[in-house]
Amino acid sequence: MGAWHNANGTLDPVKVRAAYPILATTPGGRPLHYLDSAATAQRPQRVVDAVSNYLLTANANPHRGSYTLGQMATEGYEGARARIAKYLNVPASELVMLGSATEALNLVARSWGKANLRRGDVVLVTEAEHHANLIPWQQITREMDADLEFIPVDDITGEILWDRLDSLMKLKPKIVAVGHVSNVLGSIAPLAQIAEAAHAVGALLCVDGCQAVANMPVSIPDLGADFYAFSAHKMGGLFSGGGLWARADLLAEMAPIETGGDMIRGVRLRDADFAEGTQRFEAGTPDASGAVALAAACDLLDEFGRDKIHAHESLMLERVLRELPEVLPDARILGPRDASQRAGLVAFSSDLVHAHDLAEILDRRGVAIRAGHHCAMPLHEQLELSASARVSVAPYTTNDDLDALFAGLRDARTVFER
Amino acid sequence: MGGMDDLYREQILEHHRRPHNQAPLAAPSVSLEGRNPNCGDVINLQLQLDDAGVITDVAFSGRGCAISQAGTSLITDELRGKSVDEILGLGSPFVMELLGVEVGPSRIHCALLGLETTQKALATLRTT
Repeated sequence: MGAWHNANGTLDPVKVRAAYPILATTPGGRPLHYLDSAATAQRPQRVVDAVSNYLLTANANPHRGSYTLGQMATEGYEGARARIAKYLNVPASELVMLGSATEALNLVARSWGKANLRRGDVVLVTEAEHHANLIPWQQITREMDADLEFIPVDDITGEILWDRLDSLMKLKPKIVAVGHVSNVLGSIAPLAQIAEAAHAVGALLCVDGCQAVANMPVSIPDLGADFYAFSAHKMGGLFSGGGLWARADLLAEMAPIETGGDMIRGVRLRDADFAEGTQRFEAGTPDASGAVALAAACDLLDEFGRDKIHAHESLMLERVLRELPEVLPDARILGPRDASQRAGLVAFSSDLVHAHDLAEILDRRGVAIRAGHHCAMPLHEQLELSASARVSVAPYTTNDDLDALFAGLRDARTVFER
Repeated sequence: MGGMDDLYREQILEHHRRPHNQAPLAAPSVSLEGRNPNCGDVINLQLQLDDAGVITDVAFSGRGCAISQAGTSLITDELRGKSVDEILGLGSPFVMELLGVEVGPSRIHCALLGLETTQKALATLRTT
């Protein structure tokens, strides 16, 4: 099975850790128990090496140099696009490389939305969306005088009430925008069911895949989505980087929202013709080194095996879901109780210990978790919470990390129950 | 664990468990919601001033971490009898002294929420 697996073929997180040098460091003099990969994943040495190698041996402006080095730069960039496309099982010609998933979702809203939304049209999102898949839709519906409607969540658990989908489809939305995996609830959206319901009324399906692409197998053609956005840094790539997959016929009809160099076919003083395909949406010099980094991250995640990553992370989440109520009895777990319905993360709140205080106390043991609203303020409002604590796992998460988490939770109880 | 015991001393936890100045004012001179947008800590602050610009009464409600709520509770205890100018002249050293601990950069916004909201409320009063 190679370097990363146990004899029985399962992922061995201890072996995996060797690929991530930061995990052996001791910030503040304490061993690092990094449980915030949903915010940003740690970077493998291999990704950093790939960037160094590209910048030190193949650096020139892609798409411009007619000399050998320029061709090497172009090949590096386009090769990276092809590798990332393969990771998602889509043609490279349909993969727009952008600075972030936020940019990708803004592109859909501002380009597709502007061309296709009319007064009174409906855009349907969930109440649990990350701000990146909410605010662009707020903006464009306001601009076009269209309506934004919501798939509700359960007021207690936060679970998205997908059984309301059929009745909401009577609103005849033009587009349905949902997260593949909720960055607070951890729940995996039933995309096949959503796609069927959306397409039946002529709506498109736009998916924010940020929390899915690193944690589970994702083959975009099998999902029924029409747009799929993702972010590089959640996969072990660089902070800059992300992409948008869109069906070729949709891409062909979309106008660029940013214009400039590299996205043109011909330019005259008073007007310009735009390039075809993905290039039309990639104005300016592309982040070629970021793309190369992401391609290297894809290589590594595929070596781990995304089904094996998902299986390992499910085991970790199962333990968190099982032991959390024992260690912190008043913990209110957000999202499904069943680890098999989740990917990558568990968020919870406690009346005894506020999330920030918890994060502070856990930090004393080197345990890094996220406290706050996780860029999902409306969901927290709905749940009447000012914040929640989020534990997220990765291929490199060990039982040792979870031991430290639970020890820190006991510390917090001791402090706040005294 | 020494640092933790400093931050979560009994005095701070006591203010967190039973924050002072919770009874709403009947006719506040100014009310303002203060928020910590990155964390979600929130307080609703009410101030009563006399004609001379001296604070005569104060109340708040809120939700958030122990540091934000205890910090607000502690600062509200100090407001009565102070003039607008005196309060606008206060800064983070004053709050650190009240808390009795040096709060690190990741929690400083929690600690200062009460004071900053008070100062913003008083500033709106001046411009209107």
